[in-house]
Amino acid sequence: MMKYLLSNKFKKPGWVLLVVGITFGIIHALNDFESDLLTVKVISLFHNDIIFSKNNGLVSIIEDSIVDEILTLMIITGGLLVGFSKEKIEDEFISKIRLSSLKWAILINYGILLFATLFFYHTNFMSIMIYNMFTPLIIFIVRFNYIVYKKTGHEE
Amino acid sequence: MKNNIKVQRAIHDLTQADLAEKIGVSRQTINAMEKNKYVPSTLLALKIARLFKKPVEEIFILEDED
Repeated sequence: MMKYLLSNKFKKPGWVLLVVGITFGIIHALNDFESDLLTVKVISLFHNDIIFSKNNGLVSIIEDSIVDEILTLMIITGGLLVGFSKEKIEDEFISKIRLSSLKWAILINYGILLFATLFFYHTNFMSIMIYNMFTPLIIFIVRFNYIVYKKTGHEE
Repeated sequence: MKNNIKVQRAIHDLTQADLAEKIGVSRQTINAMEKNKYVPSTLLALKIARLFKKPVEEIFILEDED
């Protein structure tokens, strides 16, 4: 009955990726996203640099530090694995919590984004956009796990 | 809708975890149903009734506001 969910065994590796990704992501953000580590040649589509225009084009090869790319991939992949792997017992009530948590995440996320659109400008808004890549998944995961934990209940 | 799953469980001497295992759902589901926080699907209601060997109406009872 449940579709679009992975087996429960993907949950643990998901948590590892997510936690490591977020930890190093925060460190990276504290360093203003500056890093020369892992500078490699990458493919850039529709490259359009105003100052260094020699590489501009439809498909270009440029050099870039891929620390932020790796961290983004880790957080998103980890988040998807955690959020979309089955619980040990995935039944109708758990699916209901999953769906209502997704609804929550979308609503809160866009609420924050509306607020940010009105009251944050320039680089502040850019930072909000960076966090916004991850907040839907993170709000979803936090809310889902909190409700599942809360509903585990105690024998009376 | 209210239910007397808790009473039935006591009669059959089952814990929430036992009942959950017997009908193949999570502990959370049993807990939420007993607290009237979750209305189960017809399928789940029938499974519970079958396990307790009772008609569904004797375990799940409609209330006035339903």
